[in-house]
Amino acid sequence: MLFSSVTFLYFFLFAVLAVYFIAPRRLKNAVLLLFSLFFYAYGEPRLVVLMLLSVLFGYVHGLLMGKFRNKPRAKKLCLISSVCFSLAPLLIYKYTDFFIANLNALGASLPLLKLTLPIGISFYTFQIISYTADVYRGDAAPQKNPIDLAAYIALFPQLIAGPIVRYTDVAHDLAHRTHSVEKIGEGALRFSIGLGKKVLIANVLGELSAALLTTEASILGAWVRAAALMLQIYFDFSGYSDMAIGLGTMLGFRFPENFNYPFISQSATEFWRRWHMTLGSWFRDYVYIPLGGSRVSTAKHIRNIFAVWFLTGFWHGASWNFILWGLFFGVLLLAEKFLLKGFFDKLPRVLRHIYLLLAAAVSFLLFDAPDLASASERILSLFGGAPLVSAEGLYQCKNYFTVLLIASIGATPLPKRLTERLFSTAAGKKAAVILVPLFMAALILVSTAYLVDGSFNPFLYFRF
Amino acid sequence: MHDKLKNRILAALFLLIVAGGFLLHVFLPDAARSTAERRSLAKLPEITLSSLLGGKFSQNFDTYALDQFPFREGFRSVKAFVQYKLLGRKDSNGIFLAEGHIGKLEYPLSESSAYRAAEKFVQLRDTCFPESQVFLSLVPDKSYFLAEQNGYPALDYEKMFAIMKENTPGFTYIDVTDTLSAQDYYTTDAHWRQECLEDTALRLAEGLGVKDSFKWEYEAIDIPDFYGVYHGQAALPFKPDTLTYLTSPTTEDALVYNVEMGKTETGVYDLAKLTDGKSMDMYDIFLSGAAAVLKVTNTHAEGAAKGRELIIFRDSFTSSIAPLLLDGYESITLVDIRYIASEFLPQYVDFNGQDVLFLYSTSVINSSSMLK
Repeated sequence: MLFSSVTFLYFFLFAVLAVYFIAPRRLKNAVLLLFSLFFYAYGEPRLVVLMLLSVLFGYVHGLLMGKFRNKPRAKKLCLISSVCFSLAPLLIYKYTDFFIANLNALGASLPLLKLTLPIGISFYTFQIISYTADVYRGDAAPQKNPIDLAAYIALFPQLIAGPIVRYTDVAHDLAHRTHSVEKIGEGALRFSIGLGKKVLIANVLGELSAALLTTEASILGAWVRAAALMLQIYFDFSGYSDMAIGLGTMLGFRFPENFNYPFISQSATEFWRRWHMTLGSWFRDYVYIPLGGSRVSTAKHIRNIFAVWFLTGFWHGASWNFILWGLFFGVLLLAEKFLLKGFFDKLPRVLRHIYLLLAAAVSFLLFDAPDLASASERILSLFGGAPLVSAEGLYQCKNYFTVLLIASIGATPLPKRLTERLFSTAAGKKAAVILVPLFMAALILVSTAYLVDGSFNPFLYFRF
Repeated sequence: MHDKLKNRILAALFLLIVAGGFLLHVFLPDAARSTAERRSLAKLPEITLSSLLGGKFSQNFDTYALDQFPFREGFRSVKAFVQYKLLGRKDSNGIFLAEGHIGKLEYPLSESSAYRAAEKFVQLRDTCFPESQVFLSLVPDKSYFLAEQNGYPALDYEKMFAIMKENTPGFTYIDVTDTLSAQDYYTTDAHWRQECLEDTALRLAEGLGVKDSFKWEYEAIDIPDFYGVYHGQAALPFKPDTLTYLTSPTTEDALVYNVEMGKTETGVYDLAKLTDGKSMDMYDIFLSGAAAVLKVTNTHAEGAAKGRELIIFRDSFTSSIAPLLLDGYESITLVDIRYIASEFLPQYVDFNGQDVLFLYSTSVINSSSMLK
């Protein structure tokens, strides 16, 4: 089920909120678990069993590590076992065909399994690993209540597309969260902003991006498509994160932020501190630092950086495009850290911005293309091989100009700063009481209008 | 204090919208069909174990939830307003507004589709009526007159016409493009207006060699409030068209026989379509709408028209112009190979040397996979 669907907004969410707030406190996690399982099973009824098994293994391993807390060797074995059991379904469902295809390319002739990728498996697998790793390190106590642990892992707001909420982020909230009308209002506003970002901007930019792929090629069209794609992916994913965070707030949770205006960055290093922050910090804490981080020899440090970026790319998808996409950022980060540091520091800010935007644009063309050949063709089309302008390309640019403009401004902190300034005065605060709810209602109703009218509504991050 | 109040109002409003949407959806009666979109709307799907486990139920329920959403048409209008008026979009879902018309973008040219159409026509001629005199005429869609002139992308019509002419050897091409203008089409619909087709019908009659029998002596009868197919797609407030049909003794007394269904239709103008509750399109009054094979007999045929027959391979544009060609023939057989496979035609049509006209709109030529 998609958040940006009539079924979710006007059926599922209504039912969840009604039952959740009527239920007594001790049953709230059970209510959340039941609705989360329904939410998951709605699209993939059979694969819910796989998720429940993963939760069960995580739960048992957590308890065992608690039991072996004074036996480091046994505890470590538990952690290894837990990571293996967690990663096995991910490897089987997501990566088997990739490995088979590569073996076939080397001469083997194995049949592809063509397994359906369970929705959200990359997210819930990482959450289970973070739980057992935190229990292993002693950062979290083992969860004795299986319903509470299952509710955390299956929690519908973040189940299928993040943010990656670590157990330690919500362990306290699972047992002691509070609810209030104000939190519902705050969460509702955040959810509505995310809905608008997804439905009114990301989906529309997706139309532009698709239209420019099928129109007569031109250099202008290629650049506009690269910009549209970059903004589409940002508004799609950050919109989803906003909706997840908003829903969490309504239900009394505090989820971590996942985006912080990544396109205002001045380097790839900064970009990844602002883009998909929960994934970046997950890899930092559970891969990079355990490998030694930067406190090792330069060679090992470089190895650690490449390992993280290889895995970051591979996590996004079982294809060489994604691996290269991750490694592309790995190379940029290494260059910024070891080769160009002094040079970058001397560059004017505007040039550093341009560098980052160009790098991001190229990277997302690689990210989005169905295969390496298409990726290289689309990247090369930025620099020639077609007329500067085509009539159809120009038409589409004019057709979507306002949305592109809104998206470009919306990807910066400017709107937030302006509204904060506007509503900081006494009169502004009074006006906000009326204007902000009106804005939220307009966002929901116009988004509903777009949903009712259109069918173009895929979530890009569903495939991860 | 203000923040607290603001958040309380936000919570109340959000819950009101979500609960309101749910309650209205549940308690308002479901609609059977959408006239604006010319289609039946989804019904609440039945729950079965296999549909639940196979995920079919969820797919069907999503469709149902969208189709039966309360005030659906109103919401579609809100989207159209935001798109055209607030965001300055030049088209929405391919629908554009120009010179008081609603049009649909038809581009780019699918050359392979045009080649396929030409090949299909030649194949039909070679297998079914190799001895007949065969004519080809293409009806430009409304974008021919509106798109490029108003800054919208348009398909390369001249290239399409050239492909069709060059790849239908032995066919006589009748060019009607200069007999038409945007004003000859309904403002809210894809089709041309029958009352504006005098020059076009005359050009066809000339090309077919029946000019001597051609008459333009009709009484025009108006039917108000024709909301064309683009009206529903645009979802914007737009004045309806008046649908006018032309009658004469020839059209009044013509006999229409649905060969495939084996039944006699009401006549060339089937006014029952306006009230039967089944038809979703007023344009269906022309020859009763979609039909695979129709035979129209002119009971007033005299002189040169007596014994003369014409077969038209056609789409819906022909429904309104065929009655205007009737004076030149004793019978006109209309064949729509979008609804019948070509190999079955000899079972329904007696090909015995009649003149044959392929009369197709450019939209069909550009999507010729629909021709069976």
